[in-house]
Amino acid sequence: MDARPHERPRQGRHGLVSAAPAVLAAAAVSLVVAVCGGLLRACPATAPPGLPGWLVAGASSHAALMICGFLGTIVATERAVAVGRAWGWLAPAASALAAALLVAGDAGHGRLALLLAAVAFLGVNVHIVRRQPAMHTALLAIAAGAWLVGDALFQAEAGTPLPWWFGFLVLTVAAERLEMTRLRRRARGTQAQLAAVVGALLAGATGASLPGDAGTIGLALFGAGLVLLSAWLFAHDIATRTISTKGLSRYMAACLLLGYGWLAVSGIGWIGLSFGRPWRDMALHALGLGFIVSMMMAHAPVILPALTRVRLRFGAWFYAPVALLHASLALRLLLGMDDLLLRGVGALLNAVALLVFVATMAGAAVAWRVARIGAAGPEVD
Amino acid sequence: MNAIAAQDRVESCDPFPYAGPAALQPAVAAALRRVIDPEIAMSIVDVGLVYGVDIDARQARVRVTMTSAACPVVDVIIDDIWHELSRVLPETLAIDVELVWEPPWMPARMSDRAKAVMGW
Repeated sequence: MDARPHERPRQGRHGLVSAAPAVLAAAAVSLVVAVCGGLLRACPATAPPGLPGWLVAGASSHAALMICGFLGTIVATERAVAVGRAWGWLAPAASALAAALLVAGDAGHGRLALLLAAVAFLGVNVHIVRRQPAMHTALLAIAAGAWLVGDALFQAEAGTPLPWWFGFLVLTVAAERLEMTRLRRRARGTQAQLAAVVGALLAGATGASLPGDAGTIGLALFGAGLVLLSAWLFAHDIATRTISTKGLSRYMAACLLLGYGWLAVSGIGWIGLSFGRPWRDMALHALGLGFIVSMMMAHAPVILPALTRVRLRFGAWFYAPVALLHASLALRLLLGMDDLLLRGVGALLNAVALLVFVATMAGAAVAWRVARIGAAGPEVD
Repeated sequence: MNAIAAQDRVESCDPFPYAGPAALQPAVAAALRRVIDPEIAMSIVDVGLVYGVDIDARQARVRVTMTSAACPVVDVIIDDIWHELSRVLPETLAIDVELVWEPPWMPARMSDRAKAVMGW
């Protein structure tokens, strides 16, 4: 660190925080295109001809853009900032490039770029394990491995990458929450229970990629793993304690606990799929939106300043997009289970919740600046 | 002789290892208590992330750790430490915040107050 008298260091430990805006912009484009494509898929009416290419790409590559192009890029950026090495940025740069290629309709090169991103990301995580050998860092590396397997399946067009891609996100969250459980007095068997859950998820994802009975059993096992992970999180996560605090900490706990509920719903959806029930939307979106996006809403007020150096002012209005997301998901996945129109309206309101969330974060950034101007110092977090 | 160097020096271990002018110790401790880990609404002092503060005639050197090597908030916390210390330390002092990983953070480093919040 620079240590001249009271001269503030301007950049991060690696001097590459300036790379973040370009990468995050690509992630944002990926999100917007994926959401528009998702809405097209959720629309109960037949799509008109002559749609723009990017919208068609958004619909056909919805999962790849959402999970890899958006969330993968964000997670890889987080990890690059954490390791503080220039080469750590290879992974988010490659997944950002992949997002751009997929949006442009060049799926072939997009798939290759995703594979490169996952290989680079695995390298970053191996570095973290060597820096801090522990179960939670090992789990982060396993999550990175799951992303790589998913990308390899996507590249080879052999079997569904979805359980592996979701596995990447779910295991990443599990690893981060496991790390936080160290702040609580851990019950005996906490880590062993999680190891069993991870085993079920990996075995389930492996089976789900295969045809025949193995595929059916894999779906059920993956679903069971999600339900068990939800139970593990409710039992051991610090959110059940921090929900009794106040301010940002309580907001984060509320998002986390709501997400853990949807995680269990999603698990039931995957188990239902294995029995041939038409619960695909519940399986995929209780997980992707109810769990993962809720995790994102929980952590964004902490992560955004870390990635962009833009500070945010917390307020009760943070709860508005969270409430809208979860209410619209209930409409879509529970009330809309047998009603395509309700499901479509729910999906539209899911997208509105994301928009409101973006507006909330932007408003919080403005509110912080206003508060700083009005006060002697930035005592607002 | 520098005014800071001429002040009475003190060495203590509570709430974190401190070596420097006795007069600055309360302000430094208060400044670091204002740096909050946002997820758990707890100061980095209570979580036990501050490994030590050494202040001599030229600089204030702070050694901190994180609970996880994968923590992306590290730069924000380091910035906050710098900001809070810059408000209480003489302008002539350089501020050097060093991130260290040895010894690894352990739950035993948490304060009694932090442990009570977390149900220990």
